[in-house]
Amino acid sequence: MLLFTVLAVTGFPQKFYEARWAGVVVNAIGGLDRVRYLHRVAGILFSVATVFHIMAVTTLALMRRTGMTMVPTRRDFTDAIQQIGWYLGLAREPAMFGRFDYRQKFEYWGMLIGSLVMVVTGLILYLPLPFTRVFPGELIPVARVAHSNEGLMAFLVIITWHIYNAHLSPDVFPFDTCIFTGRISRERMHHEHPLELARLTGEPADPPSAHGPDSGGSAPPAAAGNA
Amino acid sequence: MTRSVRAPLGLVLLLLSPPLWAADPAKDELDTCLSCHGDKSLEKKLPGGEVARLHVDRAAFEKSVHGAKLGCTGCHPGYQEIPHPDHPAKDLAAFTASFRETCRSCHFANYTKALDSVHFAALSAGNTAAPFCVDCHGAHDITKPNEPRTRISDTCSSCHSVEAEQYARSVHGKALAETNNPDVPVCTDCHRSHAIADARTEAWRLKSPETCGGCHTDIARMGKYGLSTNVYRSYLDDFHGRSASLYSGQKKAPQRVVAVCIDCHGVHDIARVDEAGSKVLEKNLQATCAKCHPGAPPNFPAAWLSHYEPSPKRAPLVWATALFYKILIPVMIGGLALQVLLHLWRVVVNR
Repeated sequence: MLLFTVLAVTGFPQKFYEARWAGVVVNAIGGLDRVRYLHRVAGILFSVATVFHIMAVTTLALMRRTGMTMVPTRRDFTDAIQQIGWYLGLAREPAMFGRFDYRQKFEYWGMLIGSLVMVVTGLILYLPLPFTRVFPGELIPVARVAHSNEGLMAFLVIITWHIYNAHLSPDVFPFDTCIFTGRISRERMHHEHPLELARLTGEPADPPSAHGPDSGGSAPPAAAGNA
Repeated sequence: MTRSVRAPLGLVLLLLSPPLWAADPAKDELDTCLSCHGDKSLEKKLPGGEVARLHVDRAAFEKSVHGAKLGCTGCHPGYQEIPHPDHPAKDLAAFTASFRETCRSCHFANYTKALDSVHFAALSAGNTAAPFCVDCHGAHDITKPNEPRTRISDTCSSCHSVEAEQYARSVHGKALAETNNPDVPVCTDCHRSHAIADARTEAWRLKSPETCGGCHTDIARMGKYGLSTNVYRSYLDDFHGRSASLYSGQKKAPQRVVAVCIDCHGVHDIARVDEAGSKVLEKNLQATCAKCHPGAPPNFPAAWLSHYEPSPKRAPLVWATALFYKILIPVMIGGLALQVLLHLWRVVVNR
């Protein structure tokens, strides 16, 4: 989150170079040279984190230490259709989710693919000379356009989708602590991930009828493992 | 009452004023002064050893812009007495400098602008060769400095001969010399005439896209020659342009050099882009890039789209990538926002 903020603050003035605020931000940071320096340091750290994550997940998956619960399945698509149908009043019941619902998977994969795009295009823009020794020069403006737009999209996704789902949504307001503690209340678990609850407890899953607290509101938190 | 008094008073004043057909006092004064200063051999040896030539050519003065308007003492106050009091100047530079203020009393705006110029800065730093008013405009023979227009670059060339020769060979200079083309810039169009800034500073360099853009975004002027007015926008939208734009807006001095128009196209020696010697011709481009990007490989220049807007024909990959995001971003964000709103709506409905 820190790196993302640094990258956004040092990146957007370069995208929106003609806006008045871009100059204000550049001056506040201490000039374009420092803005670029910070952007590159943060970018390299972000790349390292991304590569580390991919390697860690791949290793764990190969060692069968983690389940493939984040992998999108056909069920996610039918869930999404059912959930939206339910929002619109077309489906009778909301979709029942497992360990990760389609929205979480969407955000995770969106973020992962987006990060890869940013890392690769960022490196191309950082090292244009070595890059053009092998690849055609036209790919550099391609990388610039992609980097700039992908960054904007990531930022917009974060401020609409992530901030809502992890902070502002009435289900989690003001802050979803689950990602850090790995803990979630049984009622929320029942409400949001009934299939995973059923898998953990061995009880049959029953669909959550509506939003808001369920009847057994004082149920103790259930450990859901580390996300 | 007051009205009846005022009318005769005005009449009296009119009668007292000199009649229009009387001799021109400025001309009388000129005759008086030229009785000595009309002598071609009139000179004065200054204490420093230099000789001040004091002859004034009547014909040149009468033809000058001031000839019909000013007498001598208008610019040389304190010389009404004959013989004149001794002048304190030790050399010619000091002698000229002692009359500098006289231009200010009429030409205040240009005089003040010239105080901000690199020439005045050089003068103040003790460079007596640096020009001020009379060095460019002349003294007694001042005529319009821009008639003909080629006269401007001739004036500058008396000191800046190297630049003037380069300019004369450039696309702008050739058009000026051959057809007296009013659309091409002369020295003062880029450098200004009075507030001439130091062209060796980074600030001046970073300002050059605006300087060039002043004409090269003018649709009417560029249209005559089939030149694109998109050059400024396409420059700004690429890496160099946005860097220069941000650099010129920041308080701190830039630590890196970023290419502006003149770095690729040249300064005084700007050539047509399709001329054999042009620095931006495709076969010369690698060398031009390598000035700032040492070791630039052959593929490197293609990273710059040569001021072309990406299109299915030019840079199709860039065009496709931009289009992809132009569609993806609104669809993605719109879709997500819609789902957030639907979720909220469902929460409210279920309450």
